[in-house]
Amino acid sequence: MIPRRTVFVRSDDRPGGVTPLEPVAEGAAHPAHTLDWRNSLAGRNAPTRGTRRHPLFRIRDELSAPWRVGLMIVGMLAPLALWLFMSTSSSTSLLVPSPAQTWEGARTLWHEGVLTGDVWASGRRILIGYAISMAIAVALGLLMGSFRSAESFFEAPIAFMRYIPATALVPLMLFWLGIDETPKIALIVIGSVFFNVLMVADVARNVPRELINAAYTLGAGRLRVLRRVILPHSVPGIIDVARINLAAAWAILVVAELLAADQGLAFRITRAQRFRQIDEMFALLIIFGIIGIVTDLSLRWLRNQSAPWARP
Amino acid sequence: MGENTIILRPEKLEVRGLVKRYGGGRRRPGTLAVDGVDITVRAGELVCIVGASGCGKSTLLNVVGGLEDATEGAAAIDGERVVGPGPDRGMVFQGYSLFPWRTVRENVAFGLEETRMPKADRGARVEALLEVMGLTAWADRLPKELSGGMRQRVAIARALAPEPDVLLLDEPFGALDTQTKRVMQDHLLDVWRRTGATILMVTHDVEEAVYLSSRIYVLTSHPGRVGAEVPVPFPDDRTPEIKRTDRFHAIRDEIQALLTGEVVME
Ligand SMILES: Nc1ncnc2c1ncn2[C@@H]1O[C@H](COP(=O)(O)OP(=O)(O)OP(=O)(O)O)[C@@H](O)[C@H]1O
Ligand SMILES: [Mg+2]
Repeated sequence: MIPRRTVFVRSDDRPGGVTPLEPVAEGAAHPAHTLDWRNSLAGRNAPTRGTRRHPLFRIRDELSAPWRVGLMIVGMLAPLALWLFMSTSSSTSLLVPSPAQTWEGARTLWHEGVLTGDVWASGRRILIGYAISMAIAVALGLLMGSFRSAESFFEAPIAFMRYIPATALVPLMLFWLGIDETPKIALIVIGSVFFNVLMVADVARNVPRELINAAYTLGAGRLRVLRRVILPHSVPGIIDVARINLAAAWAILVVAELLAADQGLAFRITRAQRFRQIDEMFALLIIFGIIGIVTDLSLRWLRNQSAPWARP
Repeated sequence: MGENTIILRPEKLEVRGLVKRYGGGRRRPGTLAVDGVDITVRAGELVCIVGASGCGKSTLLNVVGGLEDATEGAAAIDGERVVGPGPDRGMVFQGYSLFPWRTVRENVAFGLEETRMPKADRGARVEALLEVMGLTAWADRLPKELSGGMRQRVAIARALAPEPDVLLLDEPFGALDTQTKRVMQDHLLDVWRRTGATILMVTHDVEEAVYLSSRIYVLTSHPGRVGAEVPVPFPDDRTPEIKRTDRFHAIRDEIQALLTGEVVME
């Protein structure tokens, strides 16, 4: 039997207590029941301190890959199941095409040879319009976020414009600019630029003061601080702003296409409506969703690539 | 250099009647962070400021750095009133303030990129500094991957790189372990002697203040005022051995007593 001269061992005669720290004699063998103690602690009924919740319910904790992927798949299948249910159940008066019918609708559009043209027509408008919008937003937003003077000057008119629904400007734009591409692109710009400017300004305002100060004491002038501190620090934020407001650009484009266009995804939806082709309408809606998810994921990827330092 | 030659040096950095009040309005008094501080640092001097937490040390340094405006009074460099920041006054900030998107190497190089120095020379200077600070192995890491002590060393290297006339250091060794701190202190003394820079340094560590500086200002708090100015009668080319002398201990205890009295009063 090894004498009870161990370090931090819960002994039987002192229930719940811890024996005081005693030096273990030089060269003494490690007491055997230290191991028992460890084993008993690992056991199921061992007393514990603190709480440890399942990863599913922990704030900001990493989830294991099976859980993550599993939840994603369930998240995708659930709406699909609902759709399937609605398309087969006769209890609802809504006419819902089944997934198979929708697929057929998509194939019809494809064989008509209009689909790529429509995607490209709408995509091109978004691309040009949103690029202009972001260019203005970055220039003006960085300025407003960096200089109180610019902020004071631009804040009121931008807030005013932001509250005019861009959709309300559709008739005016068509009246002024005709019915070709220009009014649609103009509407995309107007519909998104004010949100973008204010949000980019916010991003720029969030550049820590100390970083700007540090750059000054290292010899950078104001323009250099803008270019070498405020801009790089804002890059991930700017990409996020672009990502979040892109949906607004699509919304306004759809309105513009509904009123005046001979090509484009939304135009195609109105056509389908005229011929009561609900399957094609569904196919087009799903295409909107897919384009949205793809651009969203790409912009996320771009953000992470361009700013590894900002990754959590 | 002996004690007597100091008198011949011109005044490099002066703070006169500095008052700094934060957030005072018509109704609210705000916080009086610094209340009438006078400080003089002669060219090539290394002066430390010690004082309780919140007594306005960082505020004082920021005004000298030109990052904050004085409410009253002013700071001057070479007799010229400070109205804004400039590369003539390098700073190490209490919170490091590293550029998070730049690697260690790029952080250190930032100031040099603002000069006309040829690229090859810049690279050599950066590598030499990284070597001295023991950061070579970490040169390609981002600040978020570093420990607090490493970040602090990067901040010091970054401020030293352009070799400014005046260095303003806000607790530059606060996050370092004792051994690293010693190495860094000796390195700072080395840089100081080699470049002849004028250094104003804030520290909590009284022994560090006595070891490094030619003079020490002890600040009182709430509001921040100069409570005492303690000369340190050791030569500039001092060695760690002085830490074992009675004179060293006497000065250290004197300052410690001044600071302790301060705490008891509160
Ligand atoms: N930006 C600010 N706005 C309002 N009050 C401030 C600001 N900065 C500092 N203060 C106040 O001024 C006083 C001095 O602050 P300062 O940061 O200069 O102290 P310090 O001596 O550097 O303290 P420490 O040793 O903890 O770093 C404090 O009471 C603080 O609350
Ligand atoms: Mg401070």
